[in-house]
Order: sequence, then structure tokens, then C-alpha cells
Amino acid sequence: MLRASAAAEAAGVPSSSLVCDGFLGQGATTAVGLGLPNLPMAKVPGHVDTQTDNELRQNLTSVTVQAVIENLTAAPAAAVMIPEPGPRDVVMEGSFEEINRFFYENNWSDGLPIVPPTQGKIESFLAFTDLPAGHVIAAIPPDNRQATVWNVAVNGVMAGCRPQYMPVLVALAEAMSDPGYGVEHSGNTPGAETLITINGPIIKDLDFNYEQGALRDGFQANTAIGRWWRLYLRNVAGFLPHQNDKGTFGNTWRVVLAENEDVLARIDWPPLSADFGHARGDNAVTISRYTGGDVIASVFGQKPEDMLPYLADALVSQTGWQLIFTVGLADGSYSPLLVLSPILAETMAKAGWSKDMVRQWLFENARIPASKFERYIVEFTNFYSGGRSMFELAQLGKANEVYGTSKDPDRLVPIVCDARDIQIAVSGDPGRTNAQVFSHNGILGYPTARAIRLPNDWKNKLAGAR
Amino acid sequence: MSEETYSAQYSALWPRGEKTVEIAPLAPRLDTLEGKTVAFLWDYLFRGDEIFPILESELSAAYPDMRFVGYTTFGSTHGSDEGRIIADLPKTLAENNVDAIISGMGC
Repeated sequence: MLRASAAAEAAGVPSSSLVCDGFLGQGATTAVGLGLPNLPMAKVPGHVDTQTDNELRQNLTSVTVQAVIENLTAAPAAAVMIPEPGPRDVVMEGSFEEINRFFYENNWSDGLPIVPPTQGKIESFLAFTDLPAGHVIAAIPPDNRQATVWNVAVNGVMAGCRPQYMPVLVALAEAMSDPGYGVEHSGNTPGAETLITINGPIIKDLDFNYEQGALRDGFQANTAIGRWWRLYLRNVAGFLPHQNDKGTFGNTWRVVLAENEDVLARIDWPPLSADFGHARGDNAVTISRYTGGDVIASVFGQKPEDMLPYLADALVSQTGWQLIFTVGLADGSYSPLLVLSPILAETMAKAGWSKDMVRQWLFENARIPASKFERYIVEFTNFYSGGRSMFELAQLGKANEVYGTSKDPDRLVPIVCDARDIQIAVSGDPGRTNAQVFSHNGILGYPTARAIRLPNDWKNKLAGAR
Repeated sequence: MSEETYSAQYSALWPRGEKTVEIAPLAPRLDTLEGKTVAFLWDYLFRGDEIFPILESELSAAYPDMRFVGYTTFGSTHGSDEGRIIADLPKTLAENNVDAIISGMGC
């Protein structure tokens, strides 16, 4: 919405942006990142979704209309750039406590102690990449600051990473800046959180946990790299609570998920990263933003047909408003993740089922009544205005054809447009029949993968760091 | 009793990245809305389809010769087509002789 206003202003067309009370702070900080700190906004009092028609009209006529007129006809005060330190400036000299307090007071830390990012510490990280320190990865919105190898390392030090994690951190910064991922939406109000999944021999090189306790803190590579992600979102992308991060309810950053590649090799299933073009055996990270999820405990059954109905039920029960990413906001961008414990995947594979067969079964059976789908995206949320049915939307070409096969409101329709939209990973306690499902945030954090590039002489450098 | 502090001293470096966007000037504002064409841009969220008609009605009452271009001319400014629609905006605005825009909804 503000990006559209900025484009109009750049084209010489004055704008007025309509902003509810609760969005004013985010609007102001987003405008700074767009290079237009004085971008005019017209306040809409309260939140429109809870107002009666009369209240909405009253608020618009008493407040918003006059603000729109002023936005379009009166020049706002000139904006000035606030000076900042340079990328390699020392910003604080002092004790551990003094530096931690200074970083916290400047919004550069998450409230937990950080490791002071000193020149020596940063250089130890830089030794684990062949890229020059000044290499610019991208400008990351909404702040549009440079993501560089240097500041990847700085935030790696702060997060408690070890220097040898650097190749993973660089790959993550590259994935974060991929336009297909949609990092600019990371402050949206549902407060989704990114899950990083890692594949390849680097899992063992860096001692990632991929068995019992997956997704639990307590394993340095899994934990510290997860923390790095959110520090980098804060310090380089620019997502701070009460400013650009408008998550109504946030989550703590997620511990990195490493797949159990020993099991995958044994059952001949491809890793998650293979869905995004990375061959088995390649080191890669995959990122995706999830709104929530649940554990599926004690999956009972001796063959896939016994187990899969429970898993399909979980996919459906963890999917509600997110269906706007299947039809509506960005068709076909809903991509939930199912993490199977090794014993579940092995039991399915033993029966001759490939990963794609499991996905196809889930696509055909994880379904809800069309009327329920419509309630989620229309009646409950008002995400899709106009009152058209799924059938009508499909007939108009505004929904996948799978939704246009019948007018029956009780017909069962899929929660995703294609079987390939269901992601499957294998991790966790090898002997437990549990799974985990993650509901997904669609285009506002679409699955994106990047290769991890190791430096020359990786093995020797790694041995030296241990 | 005072809190124990570690005695070591550190020189900590800035953790942020250099800004890549300089402050840009806003477009010149209009002398009046009378006789001007204003376009509505919408992200297809938060009751814009109800809000824009109210704004059009109120602004038309104040400026009888004002003209409006509806949001359907442009498409949703949020979602899968956002990049294309925003990239095309200068051209679309020019084609529709738009003098100013009202963009919603941020909620």
C-alpha cells in the first residue's frame, strides 16, 4: 500500500495513504525505508473491521476526508536524514555489560546477552567465506539497508554462532533477500516466524541436532543460527516490534530444523531442498514462514493407509484463514510443511510409498467442504470481498480449476492447489511415531532455498576451529 | 552491594547495514482538487470497497468537478501481482490522466 504511494510520488503524482490508527507507526518507519520519511498519511480512526457502517462513515467524514485533502494539497515539512555510524565504526567501548546495555538501548539486540562484535571476532567469521567482507548481497526491505558479508558476520558474532557457521549465514542472507521469499512482509500482523531447514553433509560437519529434540534449543548450531535470523531481520532488514514489526502475537525465533539424511538415504526419499532444485548430498538451506502448527502425537498404524488419514486431518485442522493464500491474495502460494519422524517415513517407504505418493494422497484427502473454505476467506475475515462462491471464482478464472468442478457447497475441496504445495521433511526422534505440521504464511514468506558455498580448504579450517 | 561486572573491555562495531535509499522529494502537491482526477489504489483488504465510495461521495460534495478512477483499473497492490502493478503504475497513471492517488488500506 505504501509502496504504491511511493511509486506514485516518484512518478510525480501526489499521494494520500489511508492508515488505521494501529498502522501509523509501521507506516512511518516503512516510509523512511522507502526514502520518503514525510510521505503523507490520512488516519482512519480505530480499526475498520470492528466498526459498524455508521461508525466507519462517521470516522471517515470527521477525520479522514480532511486529512486526504491536506495530504494532496499541502506540502509537508521537508525531511532530513538522520546521520548514522559507518558499517565498520566502533560504536561502543566498554565492559560486557556496558556493551550489552548500549546495544539493547539502541534496539540492536533482542534482550538476551549478545557477544560483543569486536574486530577480531568478526575476522574469525570472515575466515570461513571466500567472499570479500565488503561483498554486497542485496538491499533488504523494508529498511533497504545493504546486506553484506561483513554485517552477516557481525550479527553472527552477536548471536553466539561459531565462526564455522559463516557459510550457512551467508546462504541465509541470500535466501532472505530473494524477492520470491517476500521478506518485506515479515512484519505483518499474524506474526509468523521463519523456519530454517538445513540439508547436506554440513549437518554433521557443524553438529546440528536432527534426532530427538529437533526444534528444541540446546544445540548450538540449531539454536544460534535461528537466533541470528531474527537479529539480522532486526538490524539489517529493519523489523522491530512497535515499528516495522506489527505481529499481533509474535513467536520466538525458531530453532533450525536439520533433516535426518541417514534415514532419507536409507529409504531413498529426496531431502526437502530437492523440491527447490538442490541435489541430494548438496549443502542447502530452505526458509519458509509459518504461522503456527501442532504436533501430531502417536500416529497409529502398520501401513500408510492407516497413518495418512490422521496426518491429513492435522493438515486441515491447522489451516484456516491461511486459505487466502490458496485462493485470493496470491493463488497457490499456501505451502504447509509436514515433518515426519523417521519411523513414520520408514514405515511408509517400506510399503513402497515414495514422498510424492504421500503428497498426492494428502492432496486428495486433506480436504474441507467448499462452504467452510468460503467462510474462512469471506465471512470470517473479509479477506475476499464480493461474495462470490468458489465455483464462481473458478469459472471466472480467479481460482484454480479444481475449485470449479461443482456448485455443491458440501463438496470437499483441497487446501492447496497442487500436491507439490505440501512440503515433507524427516527429522525428530527416530523411534517415536509423532509428526509436526506447520501452517504457512503463503506469499508472505514463500519457501526459498539457497546453496551453501563452503570456503576453500573447508575441512582443514573446520578441524582448526574445533 | 554493587553488581559484579566483567573487567575485560571490548570495542564493539555497528551491527547494521548502510542505507541504500536517499531521501527523495515528494511530488508537488496540487493547488486544488477542483477539476482534478484522483485514482483509488487498493490492496483489496480492510473494507476498501466500502471506504472508497464514501470518500468519493464526500470529496465530490466538496469539489463538484473532481473525477475519480476506480481501483479495478489497477488491480490489487498487494499479493502476487503487486510487483507488476507497481512497476506499471507510472504508465497506468499517465494513461488515465491521474493527478493524485488515494492508496489504502494499511490496518
